[in-house]
Amino acid sequence: MTTIQPIPWEAIEALLHRVQKPGRYVGGEYNAIHKPWETTALHMCLAFPDIYDLGMSNFALAIFYELLNARPEVLAERAYLPAPDMIAQMRQASLPLYTLESYRPVAAFDILAISTAYEQLYTNILELLDLAGIPLRAADRDATHPLIIGGGHGTFNPEPVADFFDVFVIGEAEAVLLELIDTWQAHRHLPREDQLRALLDVPGLYIPRFYQATGEFGAVVPTDPAAPARILKRLLPTLPPTPIRQLVPNVEVTHNRAVVEIQRGCTRGCRFCQAGSITRPVRERPAAEIVESVAAILDATGYEEVALLSLSSADHSEIKPLLEALLERFAGRHLSISLPSLRIESFSVDLADMLSQGRRSGFTFAPEAGSDALRRRINKDIATADLLAVAEEVFRRGWRTLKLYFMLGLPGETDEDIEAIIDLAHRVRRLGLDIGGRKTEVHVSVSTFVPKPHTTFQWAALADRYTVERRQSLLRERLRGRGLRLSWNQYGSTRLEALLARGDRRLNAVVEAAWRNGARFDAWDEWRNLEAWERAFAETGFDVDAALYRPRATDEPLPWDHLHSGVEKRFFLRDYRRSQAGELLGDCRESCHACGILVNYPGMWTAEWECPEQGGGVKSKA
Amino acid sequence: MNGELQITDCECSIQNPKSEIQNLKSEIQNPRYRLTFATQRTLAYVSVLELGKIWERSLRRARLPLKYSQGYNPRPRLHFAAPLPVGCGSEADLLDVWLEAPVDPQRMRTALTDVVPPDLSVIDVRAVPEDEAALSEQLVAAEYRVWLRDVDPQIVQSAVTDFLHSDTLALAKRGRKYRGKTYNLRPLVEELRLEDAPAPWTGLWMRVYARPGATGRPDEVLKALDLNDAPRRCTRTRLILAV
Ligand code: SF4
Repeated sequence: MTTIQPIPWEAIEALLHRVQKPGRYVGGEYNAIHKPWETTALHMCLAFPDIYDLGMSNFALAIFYELLNARPEVLAERAYLPAPDMIAQMRQASLPLYTLESYRPVAAFDILAISTAYEQLYTNILELLDLAGIPLRAADRDATHPLIIGGGHGTFNPEPVADFFDVFVIGEAEAVLLELIDTWQAHRHLPREDQLRALLDVPGLYIPRFYQATGEFGAVVPTDPAAPARILKRLLPTLPPTPIRQLVPNVEVTHNRAVVEIQRGCTRGCRFCQAGSITRPVRERPAAEIVESVAAILDATGYEEVALLSLSSADHSEIKPLLEALLERFAGRHLSISLPSLRIESFSVDLADMLSQGRRSGFTFAPEAGSDALRRRINKDIATADLLAVAEEVFRRGWRTLKLYFMLGLPGETDEDIEAIIDLAHRVRRLGLDIGGRKTEVHVSVSTFVPKPHTTFQWAALADRYTVERRQSLLRERLRGRGLRLSWNQYGSTRLEALLARGDRRLNAVVEAAWRNGARFDAWDEWRNLEAWERAFAETGFDVDAALYRPRATDEPLPWDHLHSGVEKRFFLRDYRRSQAGELLGDCRESCHACGILVNYPGMWTAEWECPEQGGGVKSKA
Repeated sequence: MNGELQITDCECSIQNPKSEIQNLKSEIQNPRYRLTFATQRTLAYVSVLELGKIWERSLRRARLPLKYSQGYNPRPRLHFAAPLPVGCGSEADLLDVWLEAPVDPQRMRTALTDVVPPDLSVIDVRAVPEDEAALSEQLVAAEYRVWLRDVDPQIVQSAVTDFLHSDTLALAKRGRKYRGKTYNLRPLVEELRLEDAPAPWTGLWMRVYARPGATGRPDEVLKALDLNDAPRRCTRTRLILAV
C-alpha cells in the first residue's frame, strides 16, 4: 500500500535549486483549498498531464476543483506533470508525483481524474501514472489503486488510451462527476471489476473493459450485456456556475487571468471543427450573471485581467451590452478584458475597439482557407472581398499587427488555394502598409488540417507529407519580405496528432512502446521525440500509412461510433456531401438543421439554448 | 522592462532616469507607504517580477487605491528595495507603494494581512515622505542566512577560508548579452562565515553589498565556494539602508 503521509517539505526543497522555475512544484497559491485528509471521506486528485504553466491555465480543472471541494465530504487536490528536469530529479530521489496542496503522493488518492484535453497528452499520461507509481494498465490495477478516470475533448475517441483508464466521462463532466463519486463511494469496498460494473448504471460513462474492438479500425462493441452499445454524451441544460475563488498562481503561467465562460458550443458549423460539434448545443450565460461573476472573481482574486471564454465571442446575443456594462462597472479599476475567437466582421472590430482603450496590440482572424471556393467547402462563410474590407478597418483603427490563421491540407485543396493564401496575405500587407505605414506586420500562421472524429470531415484522409511539405515550401518562398511573417507545423508532429486522434484500440501498445522508448511531451517542439515513435511503430508492426491515408468509406464503422456527441452521424454525412458540392450551411441559430441535438436531448431545452425553440429539430430546411 | 516595477540586479540597473523624473513630477501628490514583509517556503521560489504581481493582486484584493502609471499599459507604482533571488525567502524585505489617497497604515496592514497568499506576511506598514529617495538608491548591503545540507562542515569552512583569502573571484556574468564576460565577486562580499544551524543543516552567514551595479548574490557565493549542488534554504535576513 502506498503511504498516505505527505512528502516532507525538506525532501521537495532539496531538489528545487536544480530545476528551472521551481515555483511550479510547491503550490501555495492564493485560493488553493486545503481540507483535512482524515475527516473527508473521498480523496480525489485532479491531474493535468502537462506542465503547471499549461495545467493552471485549463479552465475545466478550475470548474471541477471548485465543484468537488464544495462537497463537504470530498477533498480535491491538484497535480501536474513536472517538466523533464524535475521529473529526472524526482526519479533520482525516488520521490513520487505529489499533489500541490498536501504534498501527498497521488497514488494515495481514491480517484485520479486525468485530463484528456488533447491527443498529444497521451504519452504524458503514462509518464504521470508511472511517476505516481501506479501500474499503467487498468488490467494490472486493483481496488488498492486509485480509480483512473479521463475527461476532456479527447474522450470522444479515447480508444488509443483505453487500456490505461478505468472510466471515461463522455461529455460535460459537471453533469456526471458527482453521480460517479456517489456510486463509487457506495461500492468502494468491492473489487475493482465490481466497482466498475456498478458504474455502468451511470449514464455518460464509458468503461472500456466492458467493450472490445472488432477488426482494424472497426466498431467497438460491448462484451457485457449491461454495457450500453452507444454512450450519449452528458449535457448540462444550462451552463454550470462560474468558479469564483479562482486560483491565483504565484509564478507566471500561460494564461494568468480570471476566466468567465460566456458561451459554450457553436452554431457556425465549420466542418473541420471538433470543439464546435461536440460542445453543441450553444448555451449562453446571461450578461447580468457574467457581470456579477466578474465582480465577485475580482474581489476574490485581485486579477487585473479577465478573459471571456467562448468559441465565437461575437455570437453571444448580448455581447455589446455586456462589454458596455463591464467597462462601466469596472471603470477606474484597471481591468483589461480579453475576448478570444472573434469572427471576421466589422462588428468584431467594434468590440475589440471598445476593449482596447487606445492600446493596439495584435488582431487575429482565422480565414482558415485562402479562396472563397475552399472556404465554402469548410463552411467558413466569409468572402475574400469582405475579409479585405475588415482588415482595412482593423488598420484604420490603429492596429499594426494582424495575424491570419490558415489550414493546409484541407479536403479538396489544390495549389490554387495556396496561391490564394499567398495573394490574400500580400493584399492584406499592402493594405497595412498603405494605411498603417512601414511598421505594419502581417503574421500568417498555417497549421496542417487533421481530420477529427465527430466532425463532417471524419471520413477524410490526412494530406500526405509530400503535398503538405511542397505547399509549405511554396508559402515559404512566396511569403517573404518586410512586414510578413510565416509560421507552420512540422509534418511529423501533425502526422502523430492525426494518428492519436483517429487511432483505434491497437494504438495502446504503440503509445506504451513509444513512451518506453522515451516519447513524452508530444505537443512540445523542444521535447517531442519522433524517433521514439518510429521505433514504436516498428516494434509493434503498426502500419501508420494504412491508418491515415485511406479515406474511410461512409458506410464502414468508425472506432468512435460507440460514443455519441448528440450530433448524428447521418447529419455529418449529409454535410460531407454538401462540402463536396461546395455548398454552405447557414448558422443554425436562424434555422435548425436537425443535427440531432434536439431529438437526442428531449425535454432539456432551456431559454439559454440558441437552438431555435423547443422541438424545432424537425424545422430543417436542409 | 515592465513599467514601474523596478529591478536592480548585480550587473545592470534598469532604472530609466527620465521616466523617473516624469513620474516624480506627476505623482508628487500621492502618498507613499513602506511595507516591511517576509516570504518563506513556497514564496521563496518566485522571481521579482512574479513577486511584484503577487503584491499587485494582494493590494487589489485589499481594495487599496493603488496609484497607476499613465499610458497604454498602466502599472501600479511599486518599488522594491532589491530583487530577491529565486530560491531565497526573506525575513524583512522592503516595498514602497504609492496610493491615490491616504490610508491609515494600521488599517492597510490589517487589510493586507487578510488577503496575502500563504507564506507571505506583512510585518509593518508606515508612511514615508513622498520625496524620499528610491529604496534601491538607499540600499547599501544585504545579509543572508544560507543553510546547506549534505555537506561536510569542514569542507565548507575551508572553502570559506579560501574565499576570504582571495582577492579576485571571477564569475560569469549572468544574462545572454554578457556571455563570455566575467565579474569579480570578491569585493562584493563584505563578510562570510559559518554559523550555527539546527541538524542536519550547516549554516552560512554573509553580508554582501547591494548598490546599483554592485550587488553580491548568495547563489553566486555558493558557486564560488563550489557548493552549487548542495540543497539549501536561503533567507535574506536584513536590508541595510544608508542613513
Ligand atoms: S439542433 Fe438544430 S439548432 Fe440545435 S445545434 Fe443542432 S442544428 Fe443547431
